[in-house]
Amino acid sequence: MSKRLVITGAGVVSAIGVGKEQNLRALQTMQGGVALVSYLATEHTECRVGEVKLTNGEMMQMLGIAEDTPMVRTSLLGMLALREAVAEAGLSSEDIAESAFINGTTVGGMDMSEQFYLDFISETGAEGAPVHYIKTHDCGSSTDLIADYAGHFAMTTSISTACSSAANAFVLGARMIESGEFDRVVVGGSECLSKFHLNGFNTLMILDQEPCRPLDATRAGLNLGEGAAFLVLESEEAASRRGARVIGVLEGFGNACDAFHQTASSADGEGAFLAMSQALARAGVRPSDVDYVNCHGTGTPNNDPSEIAAMRRVFGNALPPFSSTKGFTGHTTSASGSIEAVFCLLALSHQFLPVSLNWSQPIEPDLIPVTQQTSVPARPIRRILCNAFGFGGNDTSLLFSKS
Amino acid sequence: MYVQAANQISIQNPLSEEWIDAPLTCSDSYCRAQDPDFKPYVSPIEGRRMGKVLKRALAVSLKTLRDTGIEHPDAIITGTGLGSVESTEAFLLDMCKNGEQLLKPTHFMQSTHNTIGSLVAIQTKTHGYNSTYSHKQISFESALYDAFVQLRAGEIGNALVEGHDGTTPSYFRMLELIGYVGNEGQVACSEASMATLISSTPSDSDLCQLKAVKLMHRPSIDDWKNAIARLDLPSDTVVFTGENGHAANDRLYSDVLTALLPDVPTVRYKQWFGECYSASALGFYAAAHLLKAGKLPGNASAALLLTMDLDGDAALTLLAR
Repeated sequence: MSKRLVITGAGVVSAIGVGKEQNLRALQTMQGGVALVSYLATEHTECRVGEVKLTNGEMMQMLGIAEDTPMVRTSLLGMLALREAVAEAGLSSEDIAESAFINGTTVGGMDMSEQFYLDFISETGAEGAPVHYIKTHDCGSSTDLIADYAGHFAMTTSISTACSSAANAFVLGARMIESGEFDRVVVGGSECLSKFHLNGFNTLMILDQEPCRPLDATRAGLNLGEGAAFLVLESEEAASRRGARVIGVLEGFGNACDAFHQTASSADGEGAFLAMSQALARAGVRPSDVDYVNCHGTGTPNNDPSEIAAMRRVFGNALPPFSSTKGFTGHTTSASGSIEAVFCLLALSHQFLPVSLNWSQPIEPDLIPVTQQTSVPARPIRRILCNAFGFGGNDTSLLFSKS
Repeated sequence: MYVQAANQISIQNPLSEEWIDAPLTCSDSYCRAQDPDFKPYVSPIEGRRMGKVLKRALAVSLKTLRDTGIEHPDAIITGTGLGSVESTEAFLLDMCKNGEQLLKPTHFMQSTHNTIGSLVAIQTKTHGYNSTYSHKQISFESALYDAFVQLRAGEIGNALVEGHDGTTPSYFRMLELIGYVGNEGQVACSEASMATLISSTPSDSDLCQLKAVKLMHRPSIDDWKNAIARLDLPSDTVVFTGENGHAANDRLYSDVLTALLPDVPTVRYKQWFGECYSASALGFYAAAHLLKAGKLPGNASAALLLTMDLDGDAALTLLAR
């Protein structure tokens, strides 16, 4: 890449905690956050999900937001993550005013819309219904609520490519910095659980009622999750100008379309192969330079073999260590790309490899993911490839390295 | 950058520029788009399973690709405020009325915002860059901005850029409840589908050039002033505004126009196309075709498209002959 792109701040909220410290501890002690649903008011009480263990009211209290303010959960999760990222990067209000903000989300304000939709459209019942939630229904509104909590960004936009949304925010943000449009772009994604998409995934029959088992021969589907993560991406020059501490480097990225099916991946993983290959080519590194792959690894029968086929095409038979962290957090859909990017940065700075929870049987004899936490990894972890794939075959791969 | 082709489905005659000389008028507060014959673009069997927005997206995309002779664009970048709202609503209503036990997957599969751009990629077997933006009134400009950044950097040679929004009767009612549409004197709440092919190389049939795209969040008058100053506007520029007869919306535009572009002629494109989240995609389309046809006021050589919304997001796009 023409300009070195550094990360100077990161914030994360997921089923395994609020903030990087809690998430790191859970990853290192192998404590997952997936449990029977308890916060989302759904009939599917049999579902296991990765919920953030806070009510909206509790989050509003943490954020200092008056309890009668109309808020959607996607935005509250996003605000917690953005606050941490901005604080770590040490951004002043002037810094924010010359930064862009890109949020990946698909659910947006659906958590509130689905509670009041019948009231909204009723000929008689709309009176007394909280119609302000009509204004917060769409993706862009969730984004602006998050952005405005931190300050006055120069520009905001929202990417909605399903489960690759947050990863694609990195792609646009990186290009904006490389092309000189901005010195600094805050990128990431935010998504709460909703009955809408829980039921949607349920109709696709890709939810496992048991804890999900990514990359395992017995895998039977995914557990949904929720959360948010934002990262402050800057040109190295801008970061050093303001004396910011660098916590990681975005070395490469790729996005490609599988162009196969709206909700299934191709057997040869063409889109994933192209995305990973582009990320490596852009960074100018060889496959053997990759020390770990954080797989998309949802645990559905279809995703995992397709992703592995693509990895075999990129890496040959010498696969680097790999795992999926979806067993910890559930599949956090639009936010997964940035939540897992934070996990990758934590792995780089603390020199450990996150494990695949609940794993017992290989899909093929040689396909053994990371399952044990060792005190010192077999080789230094310098470079990590992080995958996020979405519906519509929207495949994105990000390559991170140590600062 | 060159705008090689642009096609629309809206409340005007579809896939046609007849509106330039004979615009249809809509006096209702809510107006659905005029659908074309979809047969040249989607087989009846496939079409039966698709929502309206998806069929319209295929029609405008495939026509635009055929117009330009490009089979696989380097990028497909879509803007949509609500995605396939018809499908979203069908799934949501089924769930709200009948509970969570007997739902069917088709509507959910089509409800995701990027179903639209993915469908175009699947139908054209295009493996290139694919992204979707959903940011209220500037969804289309967000997509255009992504294409602009990549074209300028030489990362891609061309991009199919799109804007799509449908409006169901119940969504119209919801937007009416919050006062966005349906006000006295306001243009109709409508629907929009538009696709344009933008290339870094010129062709014989180009509509116009794309000179600049910029997105802004809660811009002050000073921010507008700086942004417009950087454009180096030709003296015969016309401004395309998103004024729609809604007092607070129109004040956003008049504040900027009075302060910074007081003597510049304006075109209110929403008088032809109505209002929806992707209306500005039609403003782009109209400006491109009117530049090509030489039918702008004073036969102007440039069109500055301004987009603003009541929540503070804004965009400006400069097209020139």
